Amino acid sequence: MFLSSLIDGIATGSLYALIALGPSLIYGLLRVLDIANAAGLTLGAYVGLKVWRATGSLALGIVAGIAASAVFGLGLQRLLYRPILNRGPLIPLIASIGTFIAMEEAFRLVFGPYPFAFPAKLGLPTLRFGHTVITGVHLVILIVGLLVLGLTWFALRRTRLGLYWRATSQDMATAEAMGINTRGVVAAIFVIGYALAAVSGILLGINYNTVYPTMGDIPAYKMLAIIVLGGLGNPLGTIAAAMLIGLVETFVVMYAGYVLPRDAIAFIVLIVILLARPQGLLGRSRKAA
Amino acid sequence: MSYLLVVGVTIAIYAVLTVALNMVVGYVGQPNLAQSAFLGLGAYFAAVLSTRYHLGFWWTIPVAFGVAGIAGFALGAISLRLREDFLAITTIGLNFVMVAVFQYLPFFGGAVGIYSIPVPSIGEHHFGNLDYLILAAAMLALVVGVSKYLERSWLGASLFAIRDDESAAASVGIPVASYKVVAFTLSAAFAGMVGSLYAPFLSAVTPTSFGFTESVVILSMLIFGGLGTVRGALLGALVLGALPEAFRFISNFRLLTYGVILLLMLRFQPQGLAGEASAVSRLVGRLASPLRKSRDHGPA
Amino acid sequence: MALLEVERLTVRFGGLVALDAIDLAVEKGQFVSVIGPNGAGKTTLFNAIAGAIRPSEGLVRFDGREVQGSPSARMSHLGVRRSFQVARPFASMTVRENIRVAAAGKALLQSLRCLGLRSRDRGIAERVDELLETFGLARLAERKAGELNMGELRRLEIARALSSRPSLLLLDEPAAGIGADGIGPLAQLIRGVHRSGLTVMLVEHYVGFALSLSDRVVVLDEGRKIAEGGPEEVRRDERVIAAYLGKEGSRSTGTNPLGGGA
Repeated sequence: MFLSSLIDGIATGSLYALIALGPSLIYGLLRVLDIANAAGLTLGAYVGLKVWRATGSLALGIVAGIAASAVFGLGLQRLLYRPILNRGPLIPLIASIGTFIAMEEAFRLVFGPYPFAFPAKLGLPTLRFGHTVITGVHLVILIVGLLVLGLTWFALRRTRLGLYWRATSQDMATAEAMGINTRGVVAAIFVIGYALAAVSGILLGINYNTVYPTMGDIPAYKMLAIIVLGGLGNPLGTIAAAMLIGLVETFVVMYAGYVLPRDAIAFIVLIVILLARPQGLLGRSRKAA
Repeated sequence: MSYLLVVGVTIAIYAVLTVALNMVVGYVGQPNLAQSAFLGLGAYFAAVLSTRYHLGFWWTIPVAFGVAGIAGFALGAISLRLREDFLAITTIGLNFVMVAVFQYLPFFGGAVGIYSIPVPSIGEHHFGNLDYLILAAAMLALVVGVSKYLERSWLGASLFAIRDDESAAASVGIPVASYKVVAFTLSAAFAGMVGSLYAPFLSAVTPTSFGFTESVVILSMLIFGGLGTVRGALLGALVLGALPEAFRFISNFRLLTYGVILLLMLRFQPQGLAGEASAVSRLVGRLASPLRKSRDHGPA
Repeated sequence: MALLEVERLTVRFGGLVALDAIDLAVEKGQFVSVIGPNGAGKTTLFNAIAGAIRPSEGLVRFDGREVQGSPSARMSHLGVRRSFQVARPFASMTVRENIRVAAAGKALLQSLRCLGLRSRDRGIAERVDELLETFGLARLAERKAGELNMGELRRLEIARALSSRPSLLLLDEPAAGIGADGIGPLAQLIRGVHRSGLTVMLVEHYVGFALSLSDRVVVLDEGRKIAEGGPEEVRRDERVIAAYLGKEGSRSTGTNPLGGGA
């Protein structure tokens, strides 16, 4: 029972980490809270589902979902964020929320208001160890999640893009002066961020066997709580916070029952922690120079 | 006729919410994406008290005002500890927490909400749509009057100063923290007050009608009309509130329309239609300035 | 009795000691300058006195009262007003409103009076007109402060600081960013303010400008007080010359880096 919940919590946490990682990387670069990333998640799920239905190949569906989401993200960055970045943190945030809400309505108009089933087989069996059960979907989420998170860690620490990301997120002007193509870095991070969103969307769709216009709602706001907890723009902190929220939610529901809806827990944790540590769980406090 | 009255009441309610929101977002420059949570608090308290405790309608107004005001006070106190992005996110979270509270506390009637809220009455006369409109207009007049007065008071100027530069404001003796809390309290209290009208007007309240999306709609109206001025807030509520009614096809994708308008506005006209530095107010200023000059120099 | 006394005032940021046990006293009516090379801790000293930052250790006594760690709004009400190194106007407000809101003083602390109408207060309106006139801002009174140029902003900041008739004025590098031809008139204005009976403390990077105005000069280097005395005394002090030469000798042309006049 405990072990099942633990694995359940870690799987949930990995999914949250996948969802929150893109926005966290984007925040690190541009200081924009990219709520519209969750529209990329829904878009990825719809396109993935449609292509899978049409071709029978889930791999093709995933590639198509990633491509659609990445194009959307890149377009958003070029057409919306870039021109309004210099207007303080709130204007881009509100623009992002506006995009997200408009996109949800667009999904409803294009794909209809009713949920679609997403009964794709992921080809992994359900594992049983005594009372501990891991479903095939959870196994895939765990594997994909840990793989992607490991890759991200590697990319940030060991690759040139990772170095550029760190330099640009420290100070864009200085990075530019040192010859880093910051526009290229921003574009690459948006592609990666929206690709991750598409993958999470498809996994979410398969996990709950449903794809619907507002499926991005809960991820959108939960990811906010997670990246704030992780200390805005700190990818490793984001992963830690995602795991924490996944586990806390699972165990609160297990031991205390549904005292509060699962989805309010993240924000209650967030508000409590922010009051104790206004700079986030792992954020460094900004010191006076 | 009755349909127009309903539209009128809806717009007036939105206008109260927008003008009230302007006190925090426009005057003090603090993000607040939780205005519908305060509306919901007011509406819920009015609904619970009038159905379960048979409190008269007129008494629910001050109660809704007070309860939402207390919640606004709490948010204001929290805001003191948080910088812009963090505060914005906290207010977003507040919507979800509030909806959860409405859904899960038995006091608020659970997920189904509260139905058959009694129709307000004066003596033997039960409220019709025209009465709702008159009362909504009165509430709007009150919040506009308070805003206008605030703009001309010492408190108001201090709020503008805080918005422009907090450290400089503190350096000239403005009690930044308490004034911010006052603005949050007032703004929330007025949102709650109009909630006491909203509940019987709809005759039912459900948790999800006070969610984050509604907060974004209210903020969109304010940004569309223009931050920082009462006329901007009114214009935003009027135009965006009437749009879905004027063009029936829009009501089918109201949020898409709002979203796109909001994006175009933020992208190309961030001051809004009639905000402090908007094209309209510059035009008005230019037209008015010769008059002002001639008046100044006239008697000399 | 001294108007302002600072005893062993220490400010640390993390492991960095920005101010190290500073002692100083300012008599009523005096004009005291604090000079020193970049990073000497001058602005930190002002921030600690004005309440913008909380000192780690030490005492600040103003008018006989211990006030260290009081927030800046309280310091303002006690009679300590300041200008900022980088001008910080209320950009969306008119020049007149900038000064007027700063003139309200303790009225802002009383719930009834802060709800009063600004236009009703005749006394304050007259005070504001007078300051607009003195600081050459009358012509700009209805302009938005965000539209002013650097020199105008400096004058606005000083006028705003003076609006509540403080007893101590802290000026943080008022000459920064002002062209050479603006410095003379600014010095005249500041001298006038001092002559009207106000106690003034000035932090300045332009040494000549500071020495020409001051009764007494305090020299900081790397968070420590290295010298104190009259302008002539300080100008000749070996340690002061060494501190300046060490930091900026390469940029200084003459043999005595403190020699330049205002």
